[in-house]
Amino acid sequence: MKRRNFLKTTAAAAVGTQVLGGIPLRAFSPVQLLNTLNADGDQILIVIQLFGGNDGLNTIIPADDSAYYDIRPEIAVPKDKTVPVLGKVYMHPALDPKNTYNFRRMMEDGRLAVIQGVGYENPNLSHFRSTDIWLSGLNPKPWEDTKLIYGWLGNFFANTQPGFPDVLPPDPLAVQIGGSLSMLFQSPKGDVGIALTDPDKFFELGQGLSPDMDPMSDDTFYGKEFNFVRLVAEKSDYYSASVKNAFDKGKNMATYDQTNGFVRQMQLVARLISGGLKSKVYMVYMGGFDTHVQQQNVDLTGLHPFLLESLSKGVGTFMQDMLLQGHAERIVGYTASEFGRRPYENGSRGTDHGASSVQFVFGNRVRSGVFGNNPDLKNLDGNGDLRYQYDFRRVYADVMETWFGGSAADTEAIFGERILPLGVLTNPVSVQDAYRGNEPVNITVRAYPNPTASMATLEWQQTVPASVSVELYSTEGRYVERVFTGSVDVGTVRMPIKATTSGVYECVVTVNGTRNVVPVAFLR
Amino acid sequence: MNRRELFTSLLRSSAQRQSIDGPPLVTATGVEPYTSPLTLDEVYHLLRRLGYGATVQQAAGYVGKTADVVVEELLGSSTETEPAKPGTWVDAVTENPAGADLQTRGSIWSAWRSNMAAFSNWWLKAMAADTKAVERIASFWSGHFISEFAFDSETMIPPQSLYRQYLMFRKDRLADFKQLVLDVSIDNSMVFYLGGNLNKVGKPNENYARELMELFTTGIGWYTEGDVKEAARVLTGWKSAFFNDEPANNGYYSSYFVPTDHDAGQKTVLGTSIAARTADNNTEYQVKMEEVFKLVEIIHEARPEAVSRFIATKLYKFFVYASPVDTNTQFVDDLAKVFRDNNFAIRPMLKALFSSSHFFDPALRGAQIKTPIECVAGLMRQLGVTVNDGASWTSKMDQTIYDAPNVAGWPGYHYWISTNTYPVRRQFARTVIMAMTDAQVTTFIKQFPDYTDVHKFTKNVCAYLLPLPLASERYKNYENTLLSGAPDYDWPSILNDQATAAARVRNFLVAISKAPDFQLC
Repeated sequence: MKRRNFLKTTAAAAVGTQVLGGIPLRAFSPVQLLNTLNADGDQILIVIQLFGGNDGLNTIIPADDSAYYDIRPEIAVPKDKTVPVLGKVYMHPALDPKNTYNFRRMMEDGRLAVIQGVGYENPNLSHFRSTDIWLSGLNPKPWEDTKLIYGWLGNFFANTQPGFPDVLPPDPLAVQIGGSLSMLFQSPKGDVGIALTDPDKFFELGQGLSPDMDPMSDDTFYGKEFNFVRLVAEKSDYYSASVKNAFDKGKNMATYDQTNGFVRQMQLVARLISGGLKSKVYMVYMGGFDTHVQQQNVDLTGLHPFLLESLSKGVGTFMQDMLLQGHAERIVGYTASEFGRRPYENGSRGTDHGASSVQFVFGNRVRSGVFGNNPDLKNLDGNGDLRYQYDFRRVYADVMETWFGGSAADTEAIFGERILPLGVLTNPVSVQDAYRGNEPVNITVRAYPNPTASMATLEWQQTVPASVSVELYSTEGRYVERVFTGSVDVGTVRMPIKATTSGVYECVVTVNGTRNVVPVAFLR
Repeated sequence: MNRRELFTSLLRSSAQRQSIDGPPLVTATGVEPYTSPLTLDEVYHLLRRLGYGATVQQAAGYVGKTADVVVEELLGSSTETEPAKPGTWVDAVTENPAGADLQTRGSIWSAWRSNMAAFSNWWLKAMAADTKAVERIASFWSGHFISEFAFDSETMIPPQSLYRQYLMFRKDRLADFKQLVLDVSIDNSMVFYLGGNLNKVGKPNENYARELMELFTTGIGWYTEGDVKEAARVLTGWKSAFFNDEPANNGYYSSYFVPTDHDAGQKTVLGTSIAARTADNNTEYQVKMEEVFKLVEIIHEARPEAVSRFIATKLYKFFVYASPVDTNTQFVDDLAKVFRDNNFAIRPMLKALFSSSHFFDPALRGAQIKTPIECVAGLMRQLGVTVNDGASWTSKMDQTIYDAPNVAGWPGYHYWISTNTYPVRRQFARTVIMAMTDAQVTTFIKQFPDYTDVHKFTKNVCAYLLPLPLASERYKNYENTLLSGAPDYDWPSILNDQATAAARVRNFLVAISKAPDFQLC
């Protein structure tokens, strides 16, 4: 059945309710589709999953730290071979491939942020558990045998998308290029995306696959699985048409390296965006980062450099394409890898599983630059791994709150705790207007004395009456306590704060939903 | 009416049944034996899970026997006849392509790729032909102890070596699990795949040591990073033998031991020490038994509960129900206890699983999503046809034989069915059914009793190919496909025209293959 006919028939049949996936469904009437379409912003997230554990120390090189050269006698990148960017970071030369827009140029143009020391408490060195932690946004205590089976983005859309899962949106919310649909897009109410390799083949095979039988009751295991398969069949049919439509309308204006699989996948994403597919998330996967053996040759070529080059080239060409086609303002993306590598190289010119690592965030609306300090190679954890500086969910919180217009309550519901958005993203204009509902109030918060031995005062000028909250977070971005919440009138505001233990705290003053963050050091 | 009968009657009325509040009723939760003589539906159920589907004739032979007897027969012995080798290439030895000139390297690699495909296609046919559960259980272990043929673009394991690993899984499939783990730990392919080759004294490589515990025995969380490091030291010194310019002390495609690469110092794993050894005692046999096997024993002695639950859970997901939130923990605990009580022998555990009341509980029927291997081998077996390119189909369904996505194997369950793979499953079934010759369709039809009665024929074929009885309306629709407007009493005369009957039955089978429950077993 063609999609057009499908819409017509279901609209005609929309008297009463249908049952889809065991849940009453008010058909896909064209009117509802239109509403779903218009209510949404058009911002897009690109997720690049680097499976295997990317070696952060050989990605952004700590070239000024002699300890780096001590612990990596065979595979360190000599300082004179690194690519210094804006006097801030030394990139591995593979991140600066010739004749293409790339990570170096993106950073110089203000489109790339480098986040140092991303990880989590009690690092897990299993690929699989750590990948699950990254995809779920949950880090249960090691002794809690918690199953991680749903993704933070799946939960976010399942919680916030109007009508989910009763109404299939006209375009898939999330598209994964290749493979089976990631846990990232799973939720207790079902998944929020599709997996796709080749739009033409998808259309050829997918059209007409909607089953001609109703869902069953969900109350048996058999019924549950029957309905699961049935819904995938229906989605295959339904989305094969919208994907094909976007693919045929879309175009690429940059030149992609056709010999590189990852680059070609980024090309497909660009073409679908260009063709008007309204998906909010695209996920692209790159494997091979588990570099236990011979990760780099003496001349700095080899497995790991090849992966870095592919990443830089693929994302760079994609961004160039989006800039040329006028979509760049709509796009941000991040890289995620389950862990970094052990700082000490192993005996096989490789590195074993490690802990925290570097993360990239890219796009036009990114606060470009470097977040965090170079890893401290003199202060490793008990296993000889890097300590983390930022909780891995800080970028996720930014994505949900800043990019997709969610609230702090949404993120808390998903993570089970409050996580301070990193502040690496800036609001897409449309979302700010649509979701926040009130004017941003610009204030400048001053903290004194800072550092302090016992107590500090936060001070700012309140220009309009507004609701204000003041909270403390750890430097990694995890919630510590709330100091104040309530309405505040016009005038000079002074708020005393104190901390029970020594350390640096992020003091977060939120005025009408806009956060201001001041770090304060308590030296008790 | 007891709870079981109540539930069964609800199941039988399928789509029209009333909604029941709460989770499905599982009435039998322990490993107590299921003693009733098996019905046809129960035999089909057993052979869908402990095989690749029954043939009609095979099922008929088992109806009326008890699960105990049938399972005993299906498990077979450790001396089942090996199928004929997949080709003479299994004994070919070449130079190392890594050091060869470009042309030689290209031709070795391309031979590997085509031999790997030949091996995979051969294995799928062996599965379809297997009258016992030999291939099925070997395939389970092959999916548990993963080795990947092509694990990055320039690194492949010669299929000659993987074929021998497959023979090991076949041989050890019912054995002492500790023996199996030992054989895997020094298996030629595994030694190469998880870095054992590079694991030397002073330059440890933790790769295999970690997966040995995390993925193969205890599961995550039962050891420290220190245990991983110490276990890696125990495992130093083993090398794979692939190429004609390498020593092959135990023959090609068998691993061997290099004493100077072994860390002879004392190690402590999970609180138990393995003593340091002198140069005199640093021999292959002694290190194998006193260190590698000792390590395996330490893991089982220090963490018996973890190992038994981990393996029992894996079996449950593979053979009973894969849903991660619906594993029946009471049953898994009981099964794990059987495993421990038998000192980790595999056979008694499998026997207990497949002859338990829980396994035959109606609430657990038909809820398992077929793996791509089951789709392909199962359709071959059940339609009585041969598919020569089966491996390329399983690949397109996201299961490349001997090439799991990573060392954790295939994630399974819902990950099998996506908008990428579901359309391929449909295309596969259609392609195979439409390629059946008239003679093959006729043979298919005539194997069913009462095939001249269109109502019985429809129901019998549905029971054969679909896991649970259907709503009456669906039988009616399928009958209409067979009759194509003719009255039901015309069916025998339609059957007299072989070409017409074959065309109708092909359409009927394609219609069945479109149903969501065709993907279930």
